[in-house]
Amino acid sequence: MANTLRLYLTCIRNTLDAAMCLQNFPCQEVERHNKPEVEMKTSPELLLNPILICRNEAEKCLIETSINSLRISLKVKQADELENILTKKFLRFLSMRAEAFQVLRRKPVQGYDISFLITNYHCEDMQKHKLIDFIVQFMEDIDKEISELKMSMNTRGRLVATEFLKQFM
Amino acid sequence: MLLLQSHSRFLLDTLLNRVQNVDKAVELDNHWVEFDDVRYHVQVTMKNPHIVLLSVSLPIPPPETVFLGGLPFGAIEAIKAAYGVVVQILDPPRDGFNLTLKLNLSKLPPDEAEYKHALLVKIASVREVVLGAPLRVVLKHLASRTVAPDMDQLLALVHRPKESFFLIPQADKVTVVFPMRFKDSIDTVLATSFLQEFVEARRTAGLNNAPLCMWSSSPPLELKGAPAEALSANAGFVTFVIFPRHVDGKKLDRTVWNLSTFYAYVSYHVKVGFFHLVASCSEGFMHTRMRRRVESLIQTLDRAKPDLEKSNKGLTSRSFKRLVCIENSNLNALTKHYFGRCADYKYAGLQSLKDLKDRRTNSYS
Repeated sequence: MANTLRLYLTCIRNTLDAAMCLQNFPCQEVERHNKPEVEMKTSPELLLNPILICRNEAEKCLIETSINSLRISLKVKQADELENILTKKFLRFLSMRAEAFQVLRRKPVQGYDISFLITNYHCEDMQKHKLIDFIVQFMEDIDKEISELKMSMNTRGRLVATEFLKQFM
Repeated sequence: MLLLQSHSRFLLDTLLNRVQNVDKAVELDNHWVEFDDVRYHVQVTMKNPHIVLLSVSLPIPPPETVFLGGLPFGAIEAIKAAYGVVVQILDPPRDGFNLTLKLNLSKLPPDEAEYKHALLVKIASVREVVLGAPLRVVLKHLASRTVAPDMDQLLALVHRPKESFFLIPQADKVTVVFPMRFKDSIDTVLATSFLQEFVEARRTAGLNNAPLCMWSSSPPLELKGAPAEALSANAGFVTFVIFPRHVDGKKLDRTVWNLSTFYAYVSYHVKVGFFHLVASCSEGFMHTRMRRRVESLIQTLDRAKPDLEKSNKGLTSRSFKRLVCIENSNLNALTKHYFGRCADYKYAGLQSLKDLKDRRTNSYS
């Protein structure tokens, strides 16, 4: 299990390494505008082919690239309803703190749980490999956090159940 | 506090207060509501300060439940047996209530503090006595390993407004089935995971003697005769099998109370668990750990930024400063221009400084 996760993350890391070659590119249509092309999608020649990396149906990562920006969208594994709720709550919490993360997008792309938007400016003031490290660590942490939350919820349930059943002894 | 208490705390406090100040006449007229829509009303008048009128309203029973004169069967006998002469049942009860009791505080046993307190606690748990009466009758028969003569195969007992749980009494065991319904979708999910923990917990070595516990998402076979609307439960069905060893002696009271408030217990802990883990209470457990996680992630992101301050410090090294002090401002500008371009400040060796001086003399000449 851990092995497949590592493969998945390595694949994402390598793809990001290749995809993250961004340059400053002012808007072609409006003078003195400079916007992430992956969001604006003003002209097709500035966009590159999106890449979808899937670990399984439930867990995938979409990397969309353009000349001056890169968008990474993640779908996190949700094995059951409880994980679904915990993921939603946790990612909502993170999205609300998007300004602290700089590269986090406030709203995920449709069909995904969380998205990042990296522009050429981010690449200029941060080191590229560290930025990739951050994305990968983020993914690892989400997985870890959700399984920990689930575990603590189950422990709580067990405690409650044990206490109730003890009453009959 | 993990378990629910069987007595109403407020009612007990009111009664204790009345007993201690029996001579002081006060006017009391209190209404309050407890979980599962049980309402209480307490009235004391100036005229008779030792008489307390206590009215209780029970949850509205669903059609499959048997209620005799607004009370579950066996309730009146249970009240008489539990309270004796202190309590008198008024008929008809107060408007809007199922039961009105007239407590005569002057008939309480004098002096024996402990017994008196126990009796007051018993009065405060009137809910347990009334709502748990049918369950108590069934479990009492179980303790003597018989089945009550006029009992149906399947018994429905009210525990929440318009909801009931089911009993299948047999001579050697009583099967209790709870259909679990929750309004909120998150509650349903949490409750389902909690209920599965009940089954898991029962399997552990320490709880071998606890009642058998099963959970299924579809109605169990025992409920074949039950009406269709009682068989829809979004969080599944929990079945407990109670054996005579669970009801002998003093255990009977506890078992009755725990079974009749099983739903309230689960629902209470679902809410508590939810608040502790997920809801936005600022001191909540979930939030502190999420904050920690956020901080560690931000740190990783900060590491990605090249350390600007350090390289600035390198440029204003000591030897460099000395030079600035000696030379005139023109050279200062020149050195800044020259060194600003080389990122590697090893160039700030003496040799290059000499070189600079030469350049300066060249430019002045």
